[in-house]
Order: sequence, then structure tokens, then C-alpha cells
Amino acid sequence: MMVAALVGVMMVVTTLAVFLIMARLYRRFPLPFLMPALTTTFLLVIGLLAFNISYDTYMIGGQWIDHLLGPAVVSLAYPLYRQRHVLARYLAPILTGVLVGSMIGMASGLLFAKVFGFSEDLVYAVLPKSVTTPVAMQITSQFGGAPSLAVIFVMVAGYSGVVFGPYLLKAAGLHSFIGKGMGMGAASHAIGTAKAYEFGEDAASVSSIAMTLSAISGSVMAPFIVWLFY
Amino acid sequence: MKFIKIIVQIAMLYGFYFLGEQFQHVLNLPIPGSIVGLLVLFGALLVKAIPVTWIEEGAGTLLHYLTLLFVPATVGVINYLYFFSGKNIGLVLIVMVSTLITMLASGTVSQIFANKTGMQRERSS
Repeated sequence: MMVAALVGVMMVVTTLAVFLIMARLYRRFPLPFLMPALTTTFLLVIGLLAFNISYDTYMIGGQWIDHLLGPAVVSLAYPLYRQRHVLARYLAPILTGVLVGSMIGMASGLLFAKVFGFSEDLVYAVLPKSVTTPVAMQITSQFGGAPSLAVIFVMVAGYSGVVFGPYLLKAAGLHSFIGKGMGMGAASHAIGTAKAYEFGEDAASVSSIAMTLSAISGSVMAPFIVWLFY
Repeated sequence: MKFIKIIVQIAMLYGFYFLGEQFQHVLNLPIPGSIVGLLVLFGALLVKAIPVTWIEEGAGTLLHYLTLLFVPATVGVINYLYFFSGKNIGLVLIVMVSTLITMLASGTVSQIFANKTGMQRERSS
């Protein structure tokens, strides 16, 4: 018992320390592949492998951090509340964009993965890729998929939106802050929203609303889409 | 003092999360309890059942460190390292294509909708 508590504290402290150092590095060099969550995960995986520590041992402490994910998702109500005037003003275009985005995002990912013959548990990890990480993990585990894989695909969706999104939006003639913000938030969640700040405050507000509402509509729609195709 | 305030506010957010989980469980809803909690809190803020000052610092802190919070879950990829070989790399490509389709669809639909109702023009005038 004592040993477990000690190991737990050690894992939490290590995670925090690595994260804070990586956050500092990112502030110094703000490059997409140096985002602290990415580099911290990478270093921890290397560390666990090097010292031959199992994931279960790491999670003795890791689960304490994990427990905060629930209230963190609840916290998304706060930015949504702060943006309520933007939401009320553009309610119809925002809601349509979110619903179309969730539907097409999940159905296309599921269909492609299914057509190319990937197994069901992998399909469930791909399904919520455009939904913010903590919610995506819950959607995937709800169907018995692996939440850790879901996180990887959420990251891929985020970064591909950030890297290719600006070109795509331009090529498609999406010049309005509504179009740009909606595209970024509905496809690339929090990572896309961070990028949307470069388009301006308006686009970022829409993107942040799109991301929160996509998390809600994604979790409502996921069981329906799975039921439709399986 | 500020630290204690943040802790108390996070405890309150925990309460909403717990409430959401209970609703989800009792009503057998197909959506995660955390999302139910989000909706309940958003509703409570809108009807001013709860002043925003009761949660803003706790919520702000959690969201500021959100990316740290999902690090432990992501480290779980260590059990799936075998996954990153051969055919499975194709899934990464699928995710990229599907993401860009999503962006195109949602962005286009909302822009057309906003233009049709004249909201953009109204705003710029």
C-alpha cells in the first residue's frame, strides 16, 4: 500500500515536471510538433520502455490525473457561456455546420475504414477523431474500442487540419469568419481552434463554439451512426 | 487563498460531473455523463441559477491544463506500439482525408447559411 502510494506520487510528479519543461520549450519554439502534450507523451513512453515499467504501474499515479477529465469536460460550459451572444446571433448557421460536420466526419471515417477492411475495434477508435480528446475517449470506450488509439487519431485530425486547413479553406473560397471558424472547430477541435486565433478573434469564437457543440453532437450521434453501419 | 478557491470550484465542477453521471445512469442516456454535466452547467449558467463567478476560475484552470490531463490516457499507446506497422498506417491517411472532408462540409454549409440569411452583410454594415 505504502509502496503503491509512493509509486503513484512519483508518476504524477514526473508527468507534471516533464509537462512543465515541455510547455516552456514550446513557448520558446512554438512549432506544431513541439506541442507539450505530444512531446510529454513521447518522452514518457520512451522512459517507461527504457526502465521497463508497465503502463499499469504508470497508471497507479496516472489515474489521479485521469480523474480530472470528467470535470474538465464539464468546464467547457464556461467558454460556451462566455460566447453565448455569438452563439445566439449565428445560431442557425452554427448549428447546421455542427450537425453536418459531425455526421459527415463520423460517417466518412467509419466508411473509409470499413471499406478498406479494418477491424471493428479500430473503426471505433477512428469514429470520434474530430471530437475533443476527453470526449472522444469516452465515445470509443463506449463501443469497446481502445481510447489510447482514439487519442492518436484525434491528434492526427487536429494536426492535419492545422497544416492543410488554411490551404483548403482558401481553395474552397471559405473567406468568412463563420466558414473558417466552423471548419477548424468542427474538424480539428481544440488544436484547430488554437490555429483559428490566427484568422482573428471572430473566427476563434466560432471555432470554440463549434468544437464544444461538436463534442455534444458527436456523442449523441455516434451510437446512431454505428447502429446504421453495423 | 486563490489556490483554495480554485480547489473549491473544481470540487463544484466535480459535483456537476457526478450529477451528469447520475442522470446518464438513471435515464439510460446514450451520451457520456460528462457531456450531460456540461449541458446541466450551461443551463444553470444561462438561467443564472449559478453565478459564473462560482466556477470561472476552476473551469479556467482545468481548461488551461486540459492537454496535460489527457497525457496519462495517451501514454496508453505504449500497449499498442505493434499497431504502427504495415497496413495500419493507412488509417492515418484515412483520418486525414476524412478530417479535410469534414472541414470542407461544415465550413461550406455554415458560410452559405450565414450569407443566405444576410448575417455577414448585416454585421459588416
